[in-house]
Amino acid sequence: MVETMRKVLEGVLERLYKYVTIYLPSLLAALILFLAAFVTAVLARWLLYRIFKGPTIDRFLRRSGVAFMLDPSGHLRATRLVAEGVYWCLLLAGFLLGLSVFDTDITTQAIQKLVFLMPKIVVAGLILLAGVALGQYLGRGMLVWAVNEDFPFPRRLATVVRIVIMFVAVVVAADQLEFARDVFLAAFIILVGGGVLTVSLAVGLGAGRGFRRYFEEKTQKSEEPAERSLWNHL
Amino acid sequence: MGERLPDDARRAAESIGQAGVVIGIPSYNNGRTIGHVVRAANAGLAKYFPQFTGVVINSDGGSTDDTREAVLSSRVEDGHLMLLSTPMGVAHRLSFPYHGIPGKGSAFRLIFQMASALGAKACAVIDSDLRSITPEWIEHLLRPILLAGFDFVAPYYHRHKYDGTITNSIVYPLTRSLYGLRVRQPIGGEFGVSARLIARYLERDDWETDVARYGIDIWMTTIAMAEGFRVCQSFLGAKLHDAKDPGADLSAMLHQVVGSVFMLMREYESVWRPLAASKEAALFGFRFDVGLDPVEVNVERMVAAFHKGCQELGEVWAVALQPETYAQVRKLGENTGEDAKAFHLEDELWTRVILDFACAYQKRRVVSGHLMQSLTPLYLARVASFVQETRTLSSAEVENKIEQLCLKFEELKPYLLSQWAGDPATRPDGQPALDGSEREKEMKLEV
Repeated sequence: MVETMRKVLEGVLERLYKYVTIYLPSLLAALILFLAAFVTAVLARWLLYRIFKGPTIDRFLRRSGVAFMLDPSGHLRATRLVAEGVYWCLLLAGFLLGLSVFDTDITTQAIQKLVFLMPKIVVAGLILLAGVALGQYLGRGMLVWAVNEDFPFPRRLATVVRIVIMFVAVVVAADQLEFARDVFLAAFIILVGGGVLTVSLAVGLGAGRGFRRYFEEKTQKSEEPAERSLWNHL
Repeated sequence: MGERLPDDARRAAESIGQAGVVIGIPSYNNGRTIGHVVRAANAGLAKYFPQFTGVVINSDGGSTDDTREAVLSSRVEDGHLMLLSTPMGVAHRLSFPYHGIPGKGSAFRLIFQMASALGAKACAVIDSDLRSITPEWIEHLLRPILLAGFDFVAPYYHRHKYDGTITNSIVYPLTRSLYGLRVRQPIGGEFGVSARLIARYLERDDWETDVARYGIDIWMTTIAMAEGFRVCQSFLGAKLHDAKDPGADLSAMLHQVVGSVFMLMREYESVWRPLAASKEAALFGFRFDVGLDPVEVNVERMVAAFHKGCQELGEVWAVALQPETYAQVRKLGENTGEDAKAFHLEDELWTRVILDFACAYQKRRVVSGHLMQSLTPLYLARVASFVQETRTLSSAEVENKIEQLCLKFEELKPYLLSQWAGDPATRPDGQPALDGSEREKEMKLEV
């Protein structure tokens, strides 16, 4: 009995030793690589914060409205964007390098998939960027128009426009990445259909009177001679 | 000459042959007033320019009322009305629908094409909604061209102190400070133009821009001033006219007029850059005081529109305005609350707002449409402030206030020059400019 237990324990220890000798060096190597990548990423970020001046990108971010969308206070700067981008790219590279040390089928497949996905990720990123730009353009147009027309909640209206455009961009990007196509498409259809139904019901049942009153007030205001005479004399 | 004349207009020009003077009247649903305007034009031609073949051309934007019929049927029947010893000759009356972008500019284009085709020595354009026009207006608009060698005659008339607010608060001060000539009504609507200047207008290729709409008036005036044509003004008395289309959109008008000023600033940068002061444009006519229609204004709504702009349009204004200007605008919005009576937008801040918008337009910091439309709440704030300030003032005192604003525009021209060139070396208060990081810190504190 004791002998059997001893043999079992010896077997377990042997297997443990074997796994440790096989995987520990790889794990350590992977950890070292990842740590090196982490240190490089932190250093790169620190350096970029120190030396990088991105007025051109800052200008683009401000003019396109991306800065205001990502950071409503409008203080988002290119330095931060670039430094954080480089930091996360280096971390991802370190992670992939660490995985490659194991040289197993699963890790190799995972790396291959990630590498092959890169072009699609870039295209999806461009689609998202185009969505941001279009969303900002239309959103800003809506904002300015709603303010001048004295519509209630102009910023919320503009945000809705931006969200809808961004959602469309996300659906297209997801389709490009072949990522949960059906889920996104179904969500899109449900949301758009739901939105249309909600607005129809709101206008038809609940808000009809409110809308009528609102437009009547607007018509009355535009007919007031005081407003007309001021606003139409150049 | 660019676009060719429509067939019906060309046939009419061929049948008339030659004409000495042309009166152009753009219209859109002005059946109520245009008959009076055409009669005044006919009488003016007959009384003051009998030696010339006169043609009155109505360029119509597709009126659905009886505008065109009113033009073709109106005539001055009784020469005794004008105290003439000889029978009055009747001028040719033509009415055509114009083609292209709907707007006053497109209507003017057809009129100028016709004047050119007829070989006219001078052409006057007059609005079709005028109630105060007399035959003397025709004389005053054409005589400086025909007898004194001027190329462009701008109107000079008395208007109610709250009338012509875009002119008083933006277009006149800015144009005067840029081009150095004091033309008091640069977008008045009635002008006299020489054949030489008409030819210059027609050879340009920017007719399809805002010029096709309300931008036409300032476009004509600016080209005349910037390209060295001889410019003068004629006193016409009072300008009384029908209220324009109630559905007309203020921000669209503002966009077209001010957008045209900014567009021309780009083109004529080399002209206005070296000019530092302004001089009076020659003024013809006997000046007299007249009674004017009162104009009621709703200051509360204008202030409310400004506050709404402050709350909602930060993302556009922060890009369009310089940080110092933007901070002051924000402060104004926060400090004055909704109390319209205490509202005051001082001349210097207003001037900087306009100059910053001009630079933002030039540097394309924001899409021009969004930029110009976002000016509306600021413009309303300025009008509200102006109304508050001038409520108890006489016309002469109000004119003095406008003069002070013009002088502020002239004083801040160095600021415009530095911002236009993208040089942050000058701040409006004369202090040295902030470097990038200081500027960022200041923005964080103020925004």
